[in-house]
Amino acid sequence: MKKGIILILLVGATLTGCKDNFLEVVPETSLSSATFFKKPADFQQAVNAAYVPLRSIVNDRAWLLGEMHSDNTYYARNPLFGATEQQEDIADFAIPTANGVTSNTHVLNQYRLDYQIIARTNQILASIDQVEFSDKAMKDNIIGQAKFLRAYAYFELVRYFGSVPLHLTPVPNREEAALPLTSEEGLYTQIIADAREAASLLPPKSKQEEGRATSGAARTLLANVYIVQKKWAEAETLLREVVNSGEYALIPEYAEAFSNSTGNKNNIESVFEVQFLEGSAGLNGNFLYQFMPRPISPGELVTITGTSNPQPIDGEGNNIPTPDIIAAYEEGDEREAASIGYITLSGSAREDKVYPYIKKYAKPHALHNNHGMNWPIYRYSEVLLFLAEALAEQGKEGEAADYLDMVRNRASLDDYSGGDLLEAIYHERRVELAFENKRWFDLVRTGRAIDVITAYGERVKANPQAYYYPEGSAPRSHVFSNISLYYALPADEAALSPYF
Amino acid sequence: MKNYLLKERRYVLVLYLLIFSMTNVLGQGTAVTGKVTDKSGVALPGVTVVLKGTSTAAPTGADGTYSINVSDGRGTLVFSYIGFENKEVAINNRSTVNVQLGDDTKALQEVVVVGYGSQLKEEVTGSVQTISTKEIKDIPVSQVTQKLQGKLAGVQINQATGKPGQGMSVRIRGQLSVTGGSDPLYVVDGFPITGGIGAINPNEIQDITILKDAASTSLYGSRAANGVVLITTKKGTAGQTNVSFSAYRGIQKVPERGRIKMLDAVEFAQFKKEYYEDAGKPVPEVFQDPSRYEGKNNDWYGALLRTAPIQSYDLSITSNKDKLNTALVLGVFDQEGVVLNNEYKRYSARLNSNYEVSDKVTIGLNLAPSYIFDNTPRTDGDRGTGILFNALHTWPVMPIYDENGELTLFNRFPAETGNIFAYPNWVRAAEELVNETETISLISNAYVQYEPIEGLVLKSTFNVETANSEFFFFNPSTATSSINTPIPTTAVSIRDNSKSLTWLNENLATYSKRFNDHNFELLGGFTNQRFRYDRARIQADTYADDRLPTVQAGLNINRSGTYSGVEEWSLTSFLSRLTYNYKGKYLFSAAVRSDGSSRFGEENRWGVFPSASVGWIMSDEPFLQDVSQVSFAKVRASYGVTGNNNIGNYTQYALVNNTVNAAFGNTVAPGAVVTSLANNNLGWETTKQFDVGLDLGLFNDRVQFIYDFYKKTTTNLLYSVQVPQESGFTNFNDNIGEIDFWGHEFALITRNTEGKFNWTTNANISFNRNKVVALAEGIDRVYGTFHITQVGQPFGQFYGLVKEGLYMNEEDLNSSPQVPGRSTVGSIKLRDLNGDGIITNGGDNDDRTIIGNPFPDFIYGITNNFQYGKFDLSIVGSGSYGNQLLVRHLYSTANLDGVFNMVEGVKNRFRSVDNPGDGVFGTTVGGGNVTGIERDWMSSHFIQDASYFTIKNITLGYDVGAITKFIKSARLYASVQQAYVFTNYTGGPNPETSGNRAGNGDGGNLSQGIDLSNYPVPRTYTLGVNLNF
Repeated sequence: MKKGIILILLVGATLTGCKDNFLEVVPETSLSSATFFKKPADFQQAVNAAYVPLRSIVNDRAWLLGEMHSDNTYYARNPLFGATEQQEDIADFAIPTANGVTSNTHVLNQYRLDYQIIARTNQILASIDQVEFSDKAMKDNIIGQAKFLRAYAYFELVRYFGSVPLHLTPVPNREEAALPLTSEEGLYTQIIADAREAASLLPPKSKQEEGRATSGAARTLLANVYIVQKKWAEAETLLREVVNSGEYALIPEYAEAFSNSTGNKNNIESVFEVQFLEGSAGLNGNFLYQFMPRPISPGELVTITGTSNPQPIDGEGNNIPTPDIIAAYEEGDEREAASIGYITLSGSAREDKVYPYIKKYAKPHALHNNHGMNWPIYRYSEVLLFLAEALAEQGKEGEAADYLDMVRNRASLDDYSGGDLLEAIYHERRVELAFENKRWFDLVRTGRAIDVITAYGERVKANPQAYYYPEGSAPRSHVFSNISLYYALPADEAALSPYF
Repeated sequence: MKNYLLKERRYVLVLYLLIFSMTNVLGQGTAVTGKVTDKSGVALPGVTVVLKGTSTAAPTGADGTYSINVSDGRGTLVFSYIGFENKEVAINNRSTVNVQLGDDTKALQEVVVVGYGSQLKEEVTGSVQTISTKEIKDIPVSQVTQKLQGKLAGVQINQATGKPGQGMSVRIRGQLSVTGGSDPLYVVDGFPITGGIGAINPNEIQDITILKDAASTSLYGSRAANGVVLITTKKGTAGQTNVSFSAYRGIQKVPERGRIKMLDAVEFAQFKKEYYEDAGKPVPEVFQDPSRYEGKNNDWYGALLRTAPIQSYDLSITSNKDKLNTALVLGVFDQEGVVLNNEYKRYSARLNSNYEVSDKVTIGLNLAPSYIFDNTPRTDGDRGTGILFNALHTWPVMPIYDENGELTLFNRFPAETGNIFAYPNWVRAAEELVNETETISLISNAYVQYEPIEGLVLKSTFNVETANSEFFFFNPSTATSSINTPIPTTAVSIRDNSKSLTWLNENLATYSKRFNDHNFELLGGFTNQRFRYDRARIQADTYADDRLPTVQAGLNINRSGTYSGVEEWSLTSFLSRLTYNYKGKYLFSAAVRSDGSSRFGEENRWGVFPSASVGWIMSDEPFLQDVSQVSFAKVRASYGVTGNNNIGNYTQYALVNNTVNAAFGNTVAPGAVVTSLANNNLGWETTKQFDVGLDLGLFNDRVQFIYDFYKKTTTNLLYSVQVPQESGFTNFNDNIGEIDFWGHEFALITRNTEGKFNWTTNANISFNRNKVVALAEGIDRVYGTFHITQVGQPFGQFYGLVKEGLYMNEEDLNSSPQVPGRSTVGSIKLRDLNGDGIITNGGDNDDRTIIGNPFPDFIYGITNNFQYGKFDLSIVGSGSYGNQLLVRHLYSTANLDGVFNMVEGVKNRFRSVDNPGDGVFGTTVGGGNVTGIERDWMSSHFIQDASYFTIKNITLGYDVGAITKFIKSARLYASVQQAYVFTNYTGGPNPETSGNRAGNGDGGNLSQGIDLSNYPVPRTYTLGVNLNF
């Protein structure tokens, strides 16, 4: 009997092996935080991933919140389709808002994407000092990029929402996932600190790997912040540094300033742009398709995209240039034809079936719904217009006009010919930077948003067919009923946070 | 009970006579004769008399006498007979040996398999139910769980989809977890398997025991909370060799009744015509004259269905002689699905053997390999993905076949007809897409058992389960299962291969002892189990030629569809149990298991799961012994703790995803992101269960009644709690919340008539309830897309707006709350619950409320068995009452914009104040802005009662008796499966269905009860034969 028991115990013990090891089963196909953030290359990967949310921001959201939410673009109503309220509400200034929150999904997604950048950069900044870097320049570069991206994300949030939670360290547990709202002032303090540090840590464009944040980009970002805060002198200093850096120039042809699907990326005019790559790696964009009026047949679409496999697109087209922006171009402005094209859609319910579309990004590419055009965040022409504005605000009108004229001349327009210089700069920004998601922010920071949008709303309601409603369709009854300077905070986040 | 045994004896007698009539002829040597009687001197026919240590045997005749040939007079005769104690008598050179056999009290009682052992049924103190597969052998289905429908009290078994070999949902006592999985633990011959039960040939199974309460299940510890199903496979009957063959063939059809009634081509064209007329718009040319479609209807749904054959063949050989007990079962099952190009085939074998090496040592080995081939088109799924749903709402004016009789590639009408989507040909999607899975699996058990002294059994087992599965998908350029995909499409191939291996070692010691009136059994042991799953998937696309779907012929490898993965877990356990009874009527049992699991966080690695139960057989007390009506009465009670560890394998780790790549210029740069927060405290879900039951036998057990009440509390539910995404994370895996479950189960077994006409009834009904007591701190509700889970309410309730009707006229509209800018005369009228005068869907002024419950008030089953002479008839029914389903397809099939084909009911929609219809469907005028409310906003419009009673099976059998010398008995039968469904539900053909969604707040069981118009359950007609050789 004893022998039997011993035998069985022995067999059992052999199979059991060392018990603690037996129960310690770590994932084989995924890295875990215990093994990551241990070597410099890990941080390089981490900062790469911090850029990633920018793709979705500019591909799917920013043009809704920054451009279609203005008098530059509208949607082309397709009454056959429902479930289009989310975009329409943004364009129609009719976002349902109650108790300071909204259920609009685009607002929600923009918010969440910015916080993805913030969480990823926080993770880097919190743990990078625990790792030995033999190459200090590499460490500075990574910290600089992280701070630039964090500053950029908070700068978007503060302009969209005003007060938002300020996370500066990684969230350690469920209890600390939410933080109280920080005031605009508090947010700007942090943005300025991050952007300033980024400007000092980052290399200039010529020394930086293509497509990453540079000292010039950080200075432009910081100058943009100062301009919003009306700190003109601080902005001027930074912008002059960018202009004098010798890193940037205007490209002679306006149409050539924008990247192609595979080439002309991060060109000399580019200060910072969001990087896309066409192909199957999942790094491509498809914003061009989202901007198409519809229903569009393969034959019509291929004239714009040049793909080998065009497919029809249904639904409702978004980000269609308004008659207002079309009218804003002066006679002879080369930018009009470079920015706006026209297409006739045989399947349209509209009588004349002709729609304008955004042309400046419409570059040929290989496959349907998959393109690699980069999206401009800052171009050198904006640096010049920023500088012109900062100078004009300080009464340095002559020099301001010089910079303004550099931009105008490139578009084959004559020099600025008098009149309100600031108004001229605003106008120039509108046409130069059309469809680059600048319009709404410009209207807000210059205090013109309520007036401009109210008047625009009246025009839409008075003549819906001019704004692409098919005959017989009219704007919904509550359009232009909620014109406010900030977006309400997202309701889904409010439901999970005790602070708002 | 006694009658039953007598019948068994007769049966055995017949068999013995048949078998031994041949062997006797061969006997030689001296004959020993004698007579076998019971204690009172009555002759016992059919007793087996064996010369010990040889194969020489003889039966007793009708007068109890026997004659056996022995070579000399020195041997020993062994007398055995069911219901009596075996007796060994030395011959001692006598020529006549008369024997008296004593009653075997133990054998008179049924023995049931329980966790880690077996027990006399009478002495069981937990809530268990056993089913012998004899009771369910004629039911012509592929999976054993299908056969159990309607048979078990407290167990809800639903067939969510009619796909062969798939789709069974088994919930014991309403158990559910948020995301942790709710299927019971299946234990095959003591081995908790990791693969599906669906792969096991039902004919390999001898009996099935369902363990319901915590006292019965707690020995399975952290895996027991959902209940345990013990499966015992076939073994030989002592002293016998049996060869049997069974086969059935049949056809399956989807009944017309229950199919969703859609518009035909003429009606659809008429709708479109009216649509444009009502809107004051010109009618497109193709709809101006609906009568042009007469005789040109295209029933897309019907075109996917067919009448399909089903067949099954099983050969079973069992032998239990001398020291070797062997069972061999070979099975072939072949079912073509009622959807085109659907096939399910299973080839299986099982060899169970054990051998008594000596008086003290037994070894055993079971091997059960199987091969399953399955090709299942992409039938199920929501709009756009499942071809049945897609076919349902495809325009009936679109031709399935072109003028040459070829299948069309796809159909699209001009845009001005309101045709938004291109409709590929779904018949091609069924026939041309390849969806093949081949699975080879093996379940094996090996053990050695050693009995060093009487009563002490030491057993060590080693079990292995392995499966190798290869999935091949090919979507040629000519077909697609997705709506709005023009043809030719991009050809895609997927190869998804996986293998899994589980091993389990168990080491158990059992000591049982009876002294005086005290009976003890003590069990102790430890076990180790490990699981590993490897998977590799390759997805390639863009093929130049559909005939060559190799990986290398694809011009593109789809990176997001190409990956490999490993899943692993391990479990170490210690277990012990004490069973004690005094005089066989005061019963007590206590058990405890301790589980250490790799799935749990470091701080919470070991869990302890104790239980205790008591029972009292009142009918053995003097005060009941004189009450002749009561033949048996037992009360029992139990309490215990069990766990659910189905929480995924690495959830306690913070994971880094290193495929979040960025581009810089035209270069790809690898990126890495921390995707989840670590939780070192993560542990199993805990269920504490109390059970009290009564087992009653009346009128000599002609009426048996079983009642159970249970109350369970599940705490620490594993849930991926949503966190505000300002944190950079979406969810945090945590143990949260508390759900209460309680219920009543009744089972009644009656022998209504006996004698030549024999009728028994077996009925059960169960009332299961649940209520959410708590969710996470600071969270009192979880919103899903169509559901809400809220503290104080049952789990996963349908949530939406309440439909009042339609705005019947201008006055009605103006005096009622509206959706600003959208409500019109004739549009859907919803209830303004918060009284703010505006109908709001979601947000802060929400008018939504609970509008339905996917859980039934009660479930029930009834089986009637009749026997008259050589005929037998069995009718099995099962039902559910008071549950609702969300008729999901209505968002397409009642899309009033005419984008899809529609249900017949839209003919009675609101057309004008003077022609308001039946109030179900609103006006088409105003387009999506108006109709979208009815269609896109979740409301009671979509909720229907789904109570049903289904005649699951009717079988009529005829006992042919012996046919030839070789066929000792034969039985023929005809059977109808899924014979008839009684229901008022019109949302689809299968009221048992329950789909769910996979969004935030929707996962797992949070979103039950969605009818996605899945694969219908066919009606099956079969003819079968059972032969014994």
